[in-house]
Amino acid sequence: MSPPNGVAAVERAPSGPLAWVAGADHKVTAVRTAGVALIFFIASGLLALLMRTELAQPGLQVISEGTYNELFTMHGSGMIYLVVTPLALALGLYFVPLQVGAAEIWGPRLALSGLWLYVLGGAIMFAGFLTDQGSGRTGWAPTVPLATDHWTPGIGMDMWVLGVCLAVLGMFLTGLCVLATALRERAPGMTLLRMPPFTWTLVATCLMVITSFPVLIAAMGLLEWDRHVGPVFDSAGGPALFQHLFWFYGHPVVYVMFFPFVGAVAEVVATFSRRRFFGYSLFVISMLLFAALSMSVWAHHMFTTGQVTNQYYSLTSHALIIPAGIEYFDLIATMIGGAILLRTPMLFAVGFILQFLIGGLTGIIVASPPIDYHVHDSFFVVGHFHYTLFAGSVFGFFAAAYYWFPKISGVTLREGLGKLNFWLLVIGTNVTFFPMFFLGFDGMQRRIANYPASSGFGDLNLISTIGSFVVALAVLVFLINLWVSLRHRRPAGDDPWEGQTLEWATSSPPPRFNFRGRLPEITSFAPLLDRRERAKVTEAEAAS
Amino acid sequence: MVDTRVEVQDLFDAYLWIAVAVAAIVFGTVGFAAIRYRHRPGREPSRKSDAMTAELVYVGILILVVAGLVTATFTTEDKVDAVSSDPALEVDVTAFQWGWTWAYPDGVTVTGNSDAPPTFAIPVDRTIRFTLRSRDVIHAFWIPEQRFKRDAFPNRTTQFDLDFDEPGLNDGVCAEFCGLRHSQMAFNVLALSEPDFQSWLADRRGGTS
Repeated sequence: MSPPNGVAAVERAPSGPLAWVAGADHKVTAVRTAGVALIFFIASGLLALLMRTELAQPGLQVISEGTYNELFTMHGSGMIYLVVTPLALALGLYFVPLQVGAAEIWGPRLALSGLWLYVLGGAIMFAGFLTDQGSGRTGWAPTVPLATDHWTPGIGMDMWVLGVCLAVLGMFLTGLCVLATALRERAPGMTLLRMPPFTWTLVATCLMVITSFPVLIAAMGLLEWDRHVGPVFDSAGGPALFQHLFWFYGHPVVYVMFFPFVGAVAEVVATFSRRRFFGYSLFVISMLLFAALSMSVWAHHMFTTGQVTNQYYSLTSHALIIPAGIEYFDLIATMIGGAILLRTPMLFAVGFILQFLIGGLTGIIVASPPIDYHVHDSFFVVGHFHYTLFAGSVFGFFAAAYYWFPKISGVTLREGLGKLNFWLLVIGTNVTFFPMFFLGFDGMQRRIANYPASSGFGDLNLISTIGSFVVALAVLVFLINLWVSLRHRRPAGDDPWEGQTLEWATSSPPPRFNFRGRLPEITSFAPLLDRRERAKVTEAEAAS
Repeated sequence: MVDTRVEVQDLFDAYLWIAVAVAAIVFGTVGFAAIRYRHRPGREPSRKSDAMTAELVYVGILILVVAGLVTATFTTEDKVDAVSSDPALEVDVTAFQWGWTWAYPDGVTVTGNSDAPPTFAIPVDRTIRFTLRSRDVIHAFWIPEQRFKRDAFPNRTTQFDLDFDEPGLNDGVCAEFCGLRHSQMAFNVLALSEPDFQSWLADRRGGTS
């Protein structure tokens, strides 16, 4: 346990170009991780726009089927391995040390190597586009035997498999460092049950990271072995075995990409309702229960294989209603009785609650095997997971970005542009993704560049495509907001929102070792709120 | 005889209405909170930060909801998964990149691929036993009208029953991504009356179309 002050004297920070490869400040590593993730977000998003353009009308107009297969593979794998997972963990990398009053992340150089492995992995995945046979092209969740060398030959596919391994290994290291920080580096007085809700969501997240990510690395390693060394998955049970290994990672990662944003939204909702987060202890239990359950639902992705005990995975999947229901209760109960300020972070937080709900409710629908028999691998599922990952995680990310940007940069983002960003995103998201439920239920399967005119899918697809360009416009407004706010700086001060947690008790941006001088007394999970309440009591006593 | 289409549709409708009700409650409550508890000068936020009894009662309700949904799901799944002991017709279906072969009794086989999607006939209102396999990679046999799909794996078979209760054409597609021409791996299922089906089969007996 390092004291929050006094450490600075013993470390010389590297400067110049060396700082880029060896600077180990967790805040710099986190900002760079998020910056790289934003670049991959734009790249993967542009791929989606190309796909939506192709799908706007029946027939092939813009790209070939082969190209489309590369695009949906790189869009999905880009967003999952290279965008939302890193963004979620970067939030933890930056704010968990601050929230627990630590001067530094546990294992700063390990966290830094996590960033570089991730950058390298992502670059290798995307470089596959430059090879003769193209990039990876069997989806973000490949299947065997399709992904073996015989059916999908080419160095681009190998680069995809290895790139995914490296990126996931990098994020594994990041998650490990965040978890160890919450468990080992807390300031005196910061007991486990005084960790803020956001930090608890990261603990739950990183527990899943360290248990599930190694399994994906093993699965991808075995796939690569199968491609070039010798058969691994060619027995009768091999293809299902690969799916088990993949989804043992593939389901928990969905919650890795979700929990940190739940945590961020919890902080935003409490702060902008001007009160303590409601139901803290049950919330903490529900997050741990959620994480534990999430490790036992993976084969609900395999209901249609006829090779798993559907009832078991259906039961565990339905049971997720309980922790998810507790979260919703606590978020909404925090608002009820508050004094709500609908600033941009709060708008996005409320957007997250309502938009993710559609993803969550359709998730319960697909947790029922007989219903899944119909909608599995259809656009219904595409609509469902975009409501969780886009309408959920991306709204949560924007809430976090508008909330914490002043802390990270020292300047506030523009409120007007923020509101424009929000409303464009609400319109774009729903116009893009809601039609997908109807398309899928009516029989449009996933991962197709083309559909017959006779299917009648043209109109809804056109609407969805128009929506996707509104989403792009919303993202553009966000980038403009970043640019304008950083160019014409409006200083934020240390605590622009009346924050409740320790990151608001230091300067914006925080110094190299996070805190100067003494930390505020840590009396609960909302120490700064406690301090304000104590000051009010003192004031009242002085007045009487 | 189990009508998969009706069973799945009924279950889906039940889930959908529960989802709509929950969405209405949540949207309503959040909307209420955002309006009623807006920040105004002089408004002090509540200092209360938990209501353990109320929340545990709520958790109890959630558990009951889970139990109800799971019971409905299991009941339907038992019916949909069941295979009859005496199907009226048994068909062996083989999926391949990028087409389908149906093998009927008496050596009649019908094959088609992405260049010429096949049309397979079956008798209407009869229990049809499908035995499904793949010749190469994983595919999935999906007939949206019947609200049913099943994956086709190489080196193993899987069985299911379907019952087409309306005469006419059903579209079928491959739902599991299987490579370049995945989107064109379509087929049609033509539900015919028993005599029409028998003459369709007789036309193809002794040869392959």
